[in-house]
Amino acid sequence: MATGIRDKVAIIGMGCTRFGERWDVGADGLMVEAFLEALADAGIERARIEAAWVGNALDDINVGNSALPAAHALRLSTVPVTRVENMCATGTEALRGAAYAVASGAVDIALAIGVEKLKDTGYGGLPLRTKGMQNDLWMPYGSAPGTFAQLAGAYAARHGIAVGDLKRAMAHVSWKSHQNGALSPKAHLRGAVDMEKILNAPLIADPLGLFDCCGVSDGAAAAIVTTPEIARALGKADPVTIKAIQLSASNGWEMQFGAWDGASVPNTRAAAARAYAEAGIRDPRAELDMTEVHDCFSITELVIMEDLGLSDDGRAPADILDGRFDSGGAIPCQLDGGLKCFGHPVGASGLRMAYEVYTQLQGRAGERQRGKVDFGLTHNLGGSPFNSVAAVAILGRLN
Amino acid sequence: MSGLAQSFGVAALGGYVPLLRLDRKAASRELGWSGLPMPRAGMRSVADWDEDALTMAVEAARQLCRESAPDALRFASTSAYFTDRAQSGMALDALAMPRTVRTSDAANSRRAATSAMLDALLGRRDEIVTAGEKRPTQPGSAAQLTFGDGAAAVRTGPDAPARLAGHASLSHDLVDRYASRDHPFTYAYEERFVRDVAVAEVLVPVVRAACVAAGIAPGQLAHAAVHEPVGGCWRAVAKALDCGIPNHCEAVSEMAGDLGTAHALYGLGLALDTAEVGDFVLLVSFGSGADAMVFEVTSPVPGASAMAAALKEGQVLASYSRFLSLTGSLELDWGMRAEFEQKAQATVLERVGRDMIGFIGGRDSTGNVQFPKSAFPVNPALSEVEMMEDVRLADLEARIVSITADRLNFSPDPPFDFGLVQFKNGARVLVEMVNRPAEGFRVGDRVRMRLRIKAQNRRLGFRTYFWKAAPLMRPVLGDA
Repeated sequence: MATGIRDKVAIIGMGCTRFGERWDVGADGLMVEAFLEALADAGIERARIEAAWVGNALDDINVGNSALPAAHALRLSTVPVTRVENMCATGTEALRGAAYAVASGAVDIALAIGVEKLKDTGYGGLPLRTKGMQNDLWMPYGSAPGTFAQLAGAYAARHGIAVGDLKRAMAHVSWKSHQNGALSPKAHLRGAVDMEKILNAPLIADPLGLFDCCGVSDGAAAAIVTTPEIARALGKADPVTIKAIQLSASNGWEMQFGAWDGASVPNTRAAAARAYAEAGIRDPRAELDMTEVHDCFSITELVIMEDLGLSDDGRAPADILDGRFDSGGAIPCQLDGGLKCFGHPVGASGLRMAYEVYTQLQGRAGERQRGKVDFGLTHNLGGSPFNSVAAVAILGRLN
Repeated sequence: MSGLAQSFGVAALGGYVPLLRLDRKAASRELGWSGLPMPRAGMRSVADWDEDALTMAVEAARQLCRESAPDALRFASTSAYFTDRAQSGMALDALAMPRTVRTSDAANSRRAATSAMLDALLGRRDEIVTAGEKRPTQPGSAAQLTFGDGAAAVRTGPDAPARLAGHASLSHDLVDRYASRDHPFTYAYEERFVRDVAVAEVLVPVVRAACVAAGIAPGQLAHAAVHEPVGGCWRAVAKALDCGIPNHCEAVSEMAGDLGTAHALYGLGLALDTAEVGDFVLLVSFGSGADAMVFEVTSPVPGASAMAAALKEGQVLASYSRFLSLTGSLELDWGMRAEFEQKAQATVLERVGRDMIGFIGGRDSTGNVQFPKSAFPVNPALSEVEMMEDVRLADLEARIVSITADRLNFSPDPPFDFGLVQFKNGARVLVEMVNRPAEGFRVGDRVRMRLRIKAQNRRLGFRTYFWKAAPLMRPVLGDA
């Protein structure tokens, strides 16, 4: 029987670039920036890295397929580098690859790095695909906000909530994240935004307005992982460890089979249940100190709170408006401002979330610090609500 | 010119008019400053950006697809998109007909459809002739307001409720108007010249000959569907032949515009809807000559009343600039996202294209239907590979499960409405929505499927087609 990777892998160093419209630097430069911070944080020589996983989702923009762009950028000499892509879960996927390599005993020290250079497209939103495949013969080519906006109508219908009331809860999600983001020096958007402005913003995809959508930005984040024993030997007395990493991918039933009500994301529920089991968490509402979730859109974060079991079904709007997930609430969400304020350079986001939890676990988050943090959760949701890859990771300390 | 004493004739008719209508008076007011002469009466139908001659012809013909396939499917248009790819073959797949049904395209004349229809009747064959038209026109031209977009189809067959009693044809290269590769917009000559020559040299002789072939005097005709090259022709012909009967094509012109190859067939639908048993009905199409047919009505013709009703349904297009954009007369700068270009691969079309344009899903061993088909069924109750039975979803109603109006991704006619729809047979499909109602789409709305252009690559000159969801009912004009 598999025992999972709980406490088998320690994170000894992390790095994260400033996210934003990084006109000053390309994908290679972003990787270097995150890598150097992680390396300094780990306190090791670069030659000790035995394997690397690079996460990059949209290869049309600057980075390209294969290991080579990362191997070149970081000058990783003869190191086995693997490029992974799993939509918005790509960053966490890279961390999973590196963690599994350490946990298996295949290597002692591995690197996970995620990067995306979105702002070379010349337009807002995610890049468009150009190679026509079978799905393009029938599937609507909606934008990311268009696909996630579908959650709102279905959620309102499922729970009998007026869309106007739902909009207020969604607006609170964005308001809260902007409040938090204002305290994040590496965030893209650092200004607080008032509720009226959020509620009256122009529509992007009904009912999502501009402030219901996360930013689009460039960025990279990296983690260096090893065994707890090596971490201690390197002077990390109480290292941050990975308690769980779980993924769940759609097999198509949500969008092809009639059972799904469109008001939740079953993959998040599946990944979360497995992650809680792997981490030994029985009551996430009591045991989790913070979450960094995939708030690509405000409605997504709202639904995620239920999918992670942090709100009862149909209760997330009320819990959000009650402040449960605000920075001073019972289970703060997006203490760093989330995708809302960092933007979403796809391959980097999962590792950026881990960076915030890692920082909070070590009490190094400055004015954002949430007191003592024992468990933090990260969550990614790739694709669309009806055709997704969900990733849930839980970090804690060894002792 | 000959008479036929058998019961071959029109078995059924179908028609399609796009939802949108442009009020000619409002449009001519927009151009009033120019002093250009503009028609001011009535409305013209306006196709959506994703409708073309093929999609509309399929919509007209799908009403004629009974359980048995016809011997042949003929497609007629002067505005077909492809010049070396048979629209009839695509229509065949869109209508999910067997590939053994013979197909052909007819073009280059406004009477291409009636000529194909007459061939089917004379050959005593069960055939569907479907005509669709979306002709490019130039702003400022009278044609932009007099032309309309739409389609009409006819099924010929034995024991028909409208028996072909007689016919006549005349070829005459009268250049009343033309379009060419170098001049894709219609070029029209002086109306007085066209009217005088068309009436005297073509229409009067051909109608007279058809009546002789039918064994009747022109005065015995009860209804007419005459596609006039210019207004006033039928009045002159009727006066010359002493038969003062209504020309139902005028109502088509008034409510939707001149539908080109589909015009006479649409008028025939209106005429047959009004005709009584025992009436003789005249059909005349014009273009480089004329075809004239006389039908004797023996019972109500299926499809005729629906064509009359469809003319009265629609939504008035309030914006003249949107009309110009929809007709390709105005090129807006849609921004960088509109630079998106996606190449359709012939290999992919060959593998799955027929299931796509035919909207064919699969039924698994439990009876659940899914789209598209797959080796492992999507049904969680099944875990083994199995063969699926073809199930056509195009003709089934569905309900909206989730929906949004996307304003970010490029659409030539925003917003881009799309969402999940649920069919009663279990199939759930993510589809685009068309014919947006005034209040927008909502979860739970009932929808029906319409064939539309899925994607077009203007640089490579290629289109793919798929089905999109439209509200089940259309508003009645005047209420919209």
